[in-house]
Amino acid sequence: MTALLDSVALDQADDTGTTMVRLIRAEFMKVRTTSTGWLFLTGFIVFTAMALAINGFGIHHQLYPQQGLVSRAQAVAQVAQARSPAGVAAIAASMMTSGQRVGVLFALLLGVLVVTSEFANQTAAVTFVTVPRRTTVIMAKVAAAACCGALFWLVGTVIAAVSTPLFLYSQHVSTSLAGWSVSRSVLLNLVAFVAWGVFGLGLGAVLRSQLVSVIAAIAVYVGSFGTELVFTALYNSFHQGWMLGAPVIGPAVASEVMTTSGPAFPYAPPGWVGGVFIIGYTVTLVAGGVVLTKRRDVI
Amino acid sequence: MVVLLAVVVIGGLVWLARLNRGGTRTDRARTDGAGPGLPGRPLGGRRVSPALMSQGRIDVCGLTKEYRGVRAVDDLSFTVEPGRVTGFLGPNGAGKTTTLRMLLDLVEPTAGTATIGGVRYADLDQPIRRVGAVLEAGAAHKDRTGRDHLRIVCQSAGIPLARADEVLELVGLGMAANRTFRGYSLGMRQRLGVAAALLGDPQVLILDEPANGLDPEGIRWMRDLLRTLAAQGRTILVSSHLLGEMAQLADDLVIVAAGRLAAQGTLASVIGSITYLGRTLVRTPELEKLAAVLGGDTVVTPAGDGGAYITGADAVAIGDAALRAGVVIHQLVTQLPDLEAAFLELTAGKAAIR
Repeated sequence: MTALLDSVALDQADDTGTTMVRLIRAEFMKVRTTSTGWLFLTGFIVFTAMALAINGFGIHHQLYPQQGLVSRAQAVAQVAQARSPAGVAAIAASMMTSGQRVGVLFALLLGVLVVTSEFANQTAAVTFVTVPRRTTVIMAKVAAAACCGALFWLVGTVIAAVSTPLFLYSQHVSTSLAGWSVSRSVLLNLVAFVAWGVFGLGLGAVLRSQLVSVIAAIAVYVGSFGTELVFTALYNSFHQGWMLGAPVIGPAVASEVMTTSGPAFPYAPPGWVGGVFIIGYTVTLVAGGVVLTKRRDVI
Repeated sequence: MVVLLAVVVIGGLVWLARLNRGGTRTDRARTDGAGPGLPGRPLGGRRVSPALMSQGRIDVCGLTKEYRGVRAVDDLSFTVEPGRVTGFLGPNGAGKTTTLRMLLDLVEPTAGTATIGGVRYADLDQPIRRVGAVLEAGAAHKDRTGRDHLRIVCQSAGIPLARADEVLELVGLGMAANRTFRGYSLGMRQRLGVAAALLGDPQVLILDEPANGLDPEGIRWMRDLLRTLAAQGRTILVSSHLLGEMAQLADDLVIVAAGRLAAQGTLASVIGSITYLGRTLVRTPELEKLAAVLGGDTVVTPAGDGGAYITGADAVAIGDAALRAGVVIHQLVTQLPDLEAAFLELTAGKAAIR
């Protein structure tokens, strides 16, 4: 083929790497080369720091109840509970996953933007003309969204891992961060960040519109906490036992059930049920996104 | 457990670093090789081999697209030959963009096929090394620099990232490479689109309204570029509703109206085929007498100053009839329709359908 110019670059072309690996790299470039990704990361870091501070403040009051706010007996019981091996482990786990409840929103929204910004900026046509294999493109985006979620988790965990021992030392609490219950919480936190990142991507792929997807993502996340209220009201009317555990069908509640070491709410189902729900929703959304992306015209 | 966590953390970091290494590697390639210094360099004049030429033919056959019962493209068939600039003309809403998008596998046809070198776009191996497309001038992320936009395409297609700088110089955007797309003028956006299409040095170029927003100098640049590329044996399919531009640029024309083929052929033949639309200016003191001898098929429209436009009979027929009737003729001029008139005639009444 005659080169338009004597192209040094094209002469050096090496087609190593599969389409998937190339596409995942391209997706990372897309995130890196706009300010949105960096804004999200900065916001997440600021938010995590704030969450650590607020969490630490709360734990400090647990360990050192203020005189007058609670009765002396209550205070003794509270401190004893907090300083028990289980209590200390729970404090460590809580510090290590500080800000999770809102932090996963960053992963969720970035996941939404990974796909909807292509439609908002009309770059979807460029993307699909470059690689006319839509399932592969969406799966590369899934990988990118998962990695972005994992990156948020990594950053949050590193910040927590640096500050938690300092905090615990300052509160005269000695515990190991390497215990199973802490590690379990930290790893389930990773699952939650990845799941929410991919959940956002699937939602964006299904809805396409950036504005609608962002609103829907926030509504789904915040709104699903409302399932507790709904099922409590239903239980009060119908007194069916399963209604007490049913809030787990809300995606955000499912995520909490999965990551919480004890019951996330009274009568909550076991953690794996939450995991099944949140991962099930995520897989369903991605599958729907792939099917719709393949069927829809890019106009 | 600490070990496990450490492995996860470090593993993640290493993997991310590895994913980003592609960029640094090709940065090196750029400084080693094709750095700046390309502007003003003449385009290569070597021709594409005949074997490759046959891969550049575009065949559109019975292409149809229906949207909720409305036929945006209706049984459209045409071919586009390599080595020529083919103008794809039609009024707004004629189905040009939909056709081009079906050609690029972005829109699924309701019926019919569109192939490049006999192969559907989706089945091409390394499509952007074969086909370059300019679809929309506004098609880049507003916060992204022109260079990053092109590098992402390179990365997706397995083309070295340094190629982005080469095409930026080629389209005259070298100085604006690191500016964000938001700050680009419409003309610069068109140039960036052309740059993206040229990344893979493709045999076939498909451009949707590339002249929109270009200033006269930009239009001349685009014309020279496309002519040069066609002269190299490439296939150039360029849609437009700007007729004057097409008359200066295209070798062949495909004219569509209301989703249907209105005319196809060389520029000259398309204009030639509609010379019946031409009219003859006649100046005579005996217009009524002339009109009477010309007969019923002709239409005489007075033009003032004793002149009139006559359609339905050419200059020869009018001259013969005038001689036989003894009518004095002061002036007899054949006025061929220009492309604009032909276009309007071919597409008359069809633009408003959608």
